[in-house]
Amino acid sequence: MRASALQQAFLYAGVILTCAILIFPIYWLVVTALSQPDQLRQLPPNFWPAEPRWGVFAKIFEERPILLWLGNSALAAIGAVSISMVVSVLAGYSLSRFRVRGGESLGLFILTAKMLPATLLVIPLFGIFRTFGLIGSMWSVIFAHATLIIPFTTWMLKGYFDTIPRELEQAAMVDGCSPLGALFRVILPVSAPGLAATALYGFVLSWSDYAYARTFLTSAQGNWTANLGITTMKGEYISNWADISAASILVALPILLIYLFFERYLVGGLTAGSDK
Amino acid sequence: MASISIRNVRKSYGPLEILKGFDLEVADGEFVVLVGPSGCGKSTMLKILAGLEEATSGIVRIGDRDVTDLAPGDRDIAMVFQNYALYPHLTVAQNMGFGLKMRGTPADVIARRVADAARILDVVHLLERRPRQLSGGQRQRVALGRAIVREPKAFLMDEPLSNLDAKLRVTMRAEIAALHQRLGVTTIYVTHDQIEAMTMANRIVIMSHGEIQQIADPDTMFRRPANLFVAGFIGSPGMNFVKARQLEDGRHAVLGQAVTLPVKAATSDVIVGIRPEHMLLGAGALNFAVQPTLVEGLGSEKYVYFDIPEESRMSVPATDDGRKAGRLIARLMNAGPVRLGEMLTLSIDPALLHVFDPASGKAIH
Repeated sequence: MRASALQQAFLYAGVILTCAILIFPIYWLVVTALSQPDQLRQLPPNFWPAEPRWGVFAKIFEERPILLWLGNSALAAIGAVSISMVVSVLAGYSLSRFRVRGGESLGLFILTAKMLPATLLVIPLFGIFRTFGLIGSMWSVIFAHATLIIPFTTWMLKGYFDTIPRELEQAAMVDGCSPLGALFRVILPVSAPGLAATALYGFVLSWSDYAYARTFLTSAQGNWTANLGITTMKGEYISNWADISAASILVALPILLIYLFFERYLVGGLTAGSDK
Repeated sequence: MASISIRNVRKSYGPLEILKGFDLEVADGEFVVLVGPSGCGKSTMLKILAGLEEATSGIVRIGDRDVTDLAPGDRDIAMVFQNYALYPHLTVAQNMGFGLKMRGTPADVIARRVADAARILDVVHLLERRPRQLSGGQRQRVALGRAIVREPKAFLMDEPLSNLDAKLRVTMRAEIAALHQRLGVTTIYVTHDQIEAMTMANRIVIMSHGEIQQIADPDTMFRRPANLFVAGFIGSPGMNFVKARQLEDGRHAVLGQAVTLPVKAATSDVIVGIRPEHMLLGAGALNFAVQPTLVEGLGSEKYVYFDIPEESRMSVPATDDGRKAGRLIARLMNAGPVRLGEMLTLSIDPALLHVFDPASGKAIH
């Protein structure tokens, strides 16, 4: 009994410490955004500004085309996720259901694409996009993000499809569906939580990209994504970290709201099959 | 309704042969059960029949059509799966009407046929529920409903009762049998449970290692098993086997007793099969004394286990129920107290003994 209480105390201490470590950067981002720029480097640091600058967010909206950047980020993410989901659903389903010679190696090969750092792919992608005249166009980041997302989402969906009994599509086929009909009429509706979780994960991957946007969109200001836009707020000699932090909060907010809204699907999707 | 003809169907995965030439003719309206241990190929055969697996060679005909190369949906069959395979995102009514909807049946016809099937299966009050809101037995009924709504030429059932508890299994077994009698649809039913096979089938097809061992009605299967495998598989508990050496006077030594076997044995030494329920407590025509090593009381009957002498034992067990080769079971009805280690006299009518050729394992009739 005593050991159990001690164990529980350690467990709670561990949970609190982990949460503190995870939450502190977000808390510090908020503190930085609300502090006067000249108070940022003072020692000892202020853990809450004496006079929070609540007006900083309105100021960012006035001074920077933040809505345009957010819109571009959303466009890139929606485009990339749409392409990725179409490819990943078909690829993940095939990897899950069909036994073909070399199928397993092919599946692992898809995953190795993810093991390569994004910067390694930037140069060949730049060459390809230049050939097709896509540099500066939103299509460049949409396609580039799709290459980033597809390996992950294919494997996530393969794992999800693996948990769905084959008998479901067999029943659908006996009922008169073609294999593709069974996928669309039965398997995909049943997989809705998994699809939502996968799409959300892809959305986050696209939303957090900087390297591809920096390489392909620098010349086209109207197409800048939020992450790229924020980095332009950093000066060569002086950077207003308070404003940059405020802009970062605005950029993080949509993804946070989406997470809160879809949280139950996300958790359901990621843990599906664990009870099998 | 239709007859089903399966001719020389083979299925291999590379060098692994799952079905080694399956031949079966099923009459219109017949209830045929494919039974055998796990991995014997019975479910593979059913899937080939449904079009969910492709045969390596052979022909499948349903009615007057060769359906060997047809898609599952074009074969006009309905299938009931072990895990029910109900569509979780659809209501019971939508599940039952799905097959008709896929075939473009008008909505009013679907509604009428779903209502009729729901009445037959007593699931009318469940029509608007989703599968996750149903108990195991209710799901099973809905799965049957989905099959009968289609009014197909044949029902294929793949171990439909395996996921139910023992009590519900008995109830559903009777319901499926009654449903077959009512609808008269040709049914092929796969199970590993020989009791289901014996109680439901018009004919049983018993399989082992991808081969048919015997095709017969339940009574024949029990009374005249074709070989050691069938004899050991059918019956609960399975048949006991002992070695019987031929004596100089032509009779055979069965558990140390000289016996005139009911058939003229082709070989000098044979294997004798004794049904556990054919052993009786007390003296009779053929008596032997045994010392029980284990007694299982089931209320109305007792399973008494005892070991036999080395010379009567088979080198390997003929049954796959985990029994040792030298251990026999007697199924004693209404027996009084039986104590471990205390000598018992059991008797058997020699006319009820089964005789098998030790080399081929085939029954000698």
